[in-house]
Amino acid sequence: MDILTALGFRASGRNALPVYKEICVLTIFFLVLTLIIHMYRITDFMIFCIYVMSFDLLYGYLGLLSFGHVLYLGVGVYISVLFSIYINSNPLLSLLAGTLGGGIIAAILGLIVVKLDGASFALVNLAFSQIGYFLVSSTFQKLTHGTDGISSRVDAWGFLNFSNEYITFSFILISMLLVFYLLRKLTSSPFGVLIRSIKENETRVTFLGYNTFLYKWITFFIAGTIASFAGGIYTLYVQYVSPTVLNPLDNIDPILAVLIGGAGNLYGAIAGGLLFMIMKDWLSSHFAVWQWVLGIILLIISFWFRHGFTGFVMAIRNYQRKKAVIYDQNGAQG
Amino acid sequence: MVESIVYGFTLGAILYLFSIGLSLTFGTMKIINFAHAMAYTLGVYFFITFLRLFPGAFCISTFLAVLCMIPVAYIVERLIIRRLYGESLDYAIIATYAVLLIGTDFIKFVWGNVPQQVSDPVGLSISIFNFIIPVYRLIIIAVAVILFVGLNILLRTTIIGKIVIAALEDAEGVRCLGVNVSKHFSIVFIFGTLLAVLGGILYAPISAADPYMWLNILLIAFAVVILGGMGNLNGTFVSAFVLGITMAITGRFWSQAADTIVFVIMALVLIFRRRVA
Amino acid sequence: MLLGKGRMRLLQVDEINVSYGRAMVLHDITMHLNQGEIVFVVGRNGAGKTTLLKTVMGLLKPWKGSILYEGEKTLGIGPVKLAQKGLRYVAQDKKVFSGLSVKDNIALAAYSNAVSMPEAITNVTSIYPKLNDLMENKAGGLSGGQRELLLIGRALVGHPKLLLIDEPTEGLAAIVIRDISRILMHMKMQKLSAIIVEQNLSIVNQLADRIYVMLEGYIIKELDNSIKIKNGHELEKYL
Repeated sequence: MDILTALGFRASGRNALPVYKEICVLTIFFLVLTLIIHMYRITDFMIFCIYVMSFDLLYGYLGLLSFGHVLYLGVGVYISVLFSIYINSNPLLSLLAGTLGGGIIAAILGLIVVKLDGASFALVNLAFSQIGYFLVSSTFQKLTHGTDGISSRVDAWGFLNFSNEYITFSFILISMLLVFYLLRKLTSSPFGVLIRSIKENETRVTFLGYNTFLYKWITFFIAGTIASFAGGIYTLYVQYVSPTVLNPLDNIDPILAVLIGGAGNLYGAIAGGLLFMIMKDWLSSHFAVWQWVLGIILLIISFWFRHGFTGFVMAIRNYQRKKAVIYDQNGAQG
Repeated sequence: MVESIVYGFTLGAILYLFSIGLSLTFGTMKIINFAHAMAYTLGVYFFITFLRLFPGAFCISTFLAVLCMIPVAYIVERLIIRRLYGESLDYAIIATYAVLLIGTDFIKFVWGNVPQQVSDPVGLSISIFNFIIPVYRLIIIAVAVILFVGLNILLRTTIIGKIVIAALEDAEGVRCLGVNVSKHFSIVFIFGTLLAVLGGILYAPISAADPYMWLNILLIAFAVVILGGMGNLNGTFVSAFVLGITMAITGRFWSQAADTIVFVIMALVLIFRRRVA
Repeated sequence: MLLGKGRMRLLQVDEINVSYGRAMVLHDITMHLNQGEIVFVVGRNGAGKTTLLKTVMGLLKPWKGSILYEGEKTLGIGPVKLAQKGLRYVAQDKKVFSGLSVKDNIALAAYSNAVSMPEAITNVTSIYPKLNDLMENKAGGLSGGQRELLLIGRALVGHPKLLLIDEPTEGLAAIVIRDISRILMHMKMQKLSAIIVEQNLSIVNQLADRIYVMLEGYIIKELDNSIKIKNGHELEKYL
């Protein structure tokens, strides 16, 4: 099997159409959303959704819980910004720089963390996230201006003028749909099956002859790269960045989002991302102290609603299907 | 330089007190308990409140604060930790982190966000070989050493200590003997939590108290526990002091890197270790 | 489950199905044990014998079927309470608490059964007197055979009702196997009930009241030992 088929880019006898349907649904959904919520906010939401999707790949599909994913988001932000200030202020190039930079770091750190077991994996990633915050706010202060933050400034390029709200929104929507498409292809490919098998029983996959370390590492790399991509996009339209994007206390955000939406499926990541952001907006504007609400929601989910929102929806659909079968049988008897 | 080393030992002592509970909880119940950090912080705030009520009464305030934390620890264990036994590690981490979020906000709500200062209760320094060392720091170190010895004795002589040693190795085997590990673990959990509270209170005069004071120590404590070996209390003792001294000495030459050096060491050890933690 | 004589079966397992993740390990297993019987479970590696013992002990949950111990359903009870009700499990890996002394290993069993230490020690040393000399040694330093004897002895502390022993003679020298065989015979004479997984067919022949043969998660044969199985030819057919 060649690499393209393995990654799902060449259909191996399977109908590739449905993905396009999904993308249309998502596009319409987000466009409709602009009628209710301000476009600027939705742009933020979409970036967060990209970030959450990257986390879901790692946690929902592969089963690795990282308590330090915010590192890659922040790295993407800072490398893009620094690139655009010091090297070249072309928006696409700085986006590329941020994405690649984050990918390289994910590749290197991945070599260390991916062989660790659950507990250590979660914590060591948290440690790296803390180191990242420290490096950006203290060590590289000369470059990054530490906790003062830096202004972000990108040029327009062709028709891509990011000070225009509509262009920004469309660009980010397309980016999100692109990420969705790529991840959908990846997770429904043999690679996706493989990582899901690793989540279920890694030992058995090793016995089948696969190098699970390699696949875990690749997944970690992809997750980190996409998170950095999200960070890079963020710098395109935001005026100012500071080390708060790397705040280790924010590591819980994608975890909570994925749990709320339902881990292990991309719709769950998007739904969770949206729900989380909307909730955060609402809570922070009504209460001075509101994180405890997130705590309570986390507790409720961990004990009773493990499969989140999409899990709840699927449970209802299953129940309705069962009812339909019963009605059918009754109809046949009646 | 000597002051730095003494400070390093002091840090090590506090780290040791804090890490025992974490190590035991993970070693026997396979749960990473983020809520431990909440107990640490809450205990300090109780202490500060009592100290305001009874100015100058350091020991009594410590005692009262520890007393207040017993029901808190019991509730966390009963409602959260026990329910997490046997669950996948992920949910344990997430649920205990949730408790941490709730507890931190509770502290912010009751006491506010502003850092609180506590003054050195002993206020004396002694002079050894021309170096001036605060007596208080020596007391802290002494407490840790006494605890280390006492803990070893307790573990070897009491039945619950033996249950802990056995459960650290093979909790399932202990259960198959008819011993309810979870129920006995309650006591262990409360004990570990109170030690962390003690550690926090002892450290308060050296650093200020704020609702997020747990962030730094928690991460370093994880490094201590990972390096010392999950559930290995003697290893934790050694790694706590090693890391404490490393932090203090690094802090002397490059003040901002003190925390980071710990994680660099942890990363290096993890890379080169044959056996995965 | 009443028999004609009005006696209740000690253990009744009905159509249990157990899986690890998505892999089915036990399919519709039905078996039983009467008081005072010693039943052996034989079969190739991977047949599910260990899984069966673990499920009876409450360490694994069947997603279908039921287990009745002394007439009570055991589903969801868990190993702690089952051990307190007289079930004892000796695992295949012969794991002892290596960080504790031999004496402390016994102390834990004494504690959970509310038995005094002297009595518990007698329980254990009566089947293996040499253990008296090893009391203060760390259990981790014991040889495989000594560990098995310690484990069986420990299982006998506190009047057990049903012992579940997984491959007691595996990996042991012939002389130790003779010791174990002698102990099991002693248990049989005292009318202790046991389910034993064994690959050593001579022991099976000597001691079995009944034999279950397992293959790939199924019980394919139940044999009454009144069929005198010499040298295991009969059994080998199924292995």
